[in-house]
Amino acid sequence: MFVRNKTDSGRVLSGMKAKHQRYEALVKAFHTDIYRYAYWLVKDRSVAEDIVQETFLRAWRSLDALNDEKAAKSWLITILRRENARRFERKQLDTVDIDDEHIHDDTQQADVDIHNRDLHRLLGGLSDEYREPLVLQLIFGFSGEEIAAQLGLNKNTVMTRLFRARSQLKETLERQNEQRGRVNG
Amino acid sequence: MDELEFRRRIYADPNTTDSDVVEAAKSDNSKRDFWNEQKQLDAQLKQAVKVEVPEDLVNKLIWQQSADEFSRYKRKSRWYMALAASVAFTVGIGFTMWYHQPVSLGGQALAHMQYAETERAHTFSPVNLEMVNAKLASFGASFTDDIGKVEVANYCHLSTVRSLHLILDTPEGKMSVFIVPERSDVRVPAEFEDKQYRGESLTLQHASIMVVGDKHADLENMKKSVADRIRFSA
Repeated sequence: MFVRNKTDSGRVLSGMKAKHQRYEALVKAFHTDIYRYAYWLVKDRSVAEDIVQETFLRAWRSLDALNDEKAAKSWLITILRRENARRFERKQLDTVDIDDEHIHDDTQQADVDIHNRDLHRLLGGLSDEYREPLVLQLIFGFSGEEIAAQLGLNKNTVMTRLFRARSQLKETLERQNEQRGRVNG
Repeated sequence: MDELEFRRRIYADPNTTDSDVVEAAKSDNSKRDFWNEQKQLDAQLKQAVKVEVPEDLVNKLIWQQSADEFSRYKRKSRWYMALAASVAFTVGIGFTMWYHQPVSLGGQALAHMQYAETERAHTFSPVNLEMVNAKLASFGASFTDDIGKVEVANYCHLSTVRSLHLILDTPEGKMSVFIVPERSDVRVPAEFEDKQYRGESLTLQHASIMVVGDKHADLENMKKSVADRIRFSA
């Protein structure tokens, strides 16, 4: 691939090959969950894709810093959250609030039933501080401690936010059902 | 455990295995019902967060890493040039002047051409105008009409500038079009070439366009095609 001195090319190439394989394994194992997490952070598909690309590019550049494969997931999440924060600093002036209608359109899929779409919209409607820990729990199966470590919060705060997130969802669902019941009845 | 505390614990983690929560549910039907209901909702939520992932994302992630590696390798060679120049500085040639010259993107574009070869290998379907325009939108630009048969449209970094790289199939062979947003610290050379490829650029109001093709390809038609069809929103 590269023109290098013959003497060290063998060693360098086998080292590079190992790094490539490691990177590819990382991409294949985590891109789905990482993309979904990014989506729920920013609620926009193309922005999510951009952030995921930046995240993996940074991961590639500092892959040598990842010593423990078990930590890969939370390492990627940390990079992604930093990337997202950076985007906010850059774009603070020209961000537009995404209203619920837009979220609805962006996520509409023919094969998703109404209930799923409702949940999707409700999740999108939660405030960021409630949605983020909930999504970490739902996508990555993180425990309260793990979420706390990831977000730099204490565990009680996390548990309270998870509780509030779900009870808000529940309340809204119930309210909707009541309204539907009235309309249908 | 009272009702409120029970609900708090279940809401916080419907899949909890904490023994006191389990105990509390055992002796109370209404708690058990509540718990089952929450588990069910949780399963539905787990489905709802599974948004569809773009199908070419894996390839993009792997491809961009190769491209990054290649351009870093190129940058490394620039470091040697810097060394040579600093030697020249000691004999009185204005190193500072050289150093402050904006980064030239011609070489970067040529580097990406090498990777265009690999990228084409996993092209699945042609890219339509709408998809190209979706990517162009982040530069505040769009095409009014197809500029040719676009096979690949991908963002890439030329040096530090995020650009859009289009690979097209043309009568003159494969060509690449780079749309590079305007930046004061980079310079887009009017013409550049290496052993295999040749590039020409044109500078528009908000961006530069680089067209790169085979050494002997005629780039004029593509330049004109792009210049005629690109529009900037601001």
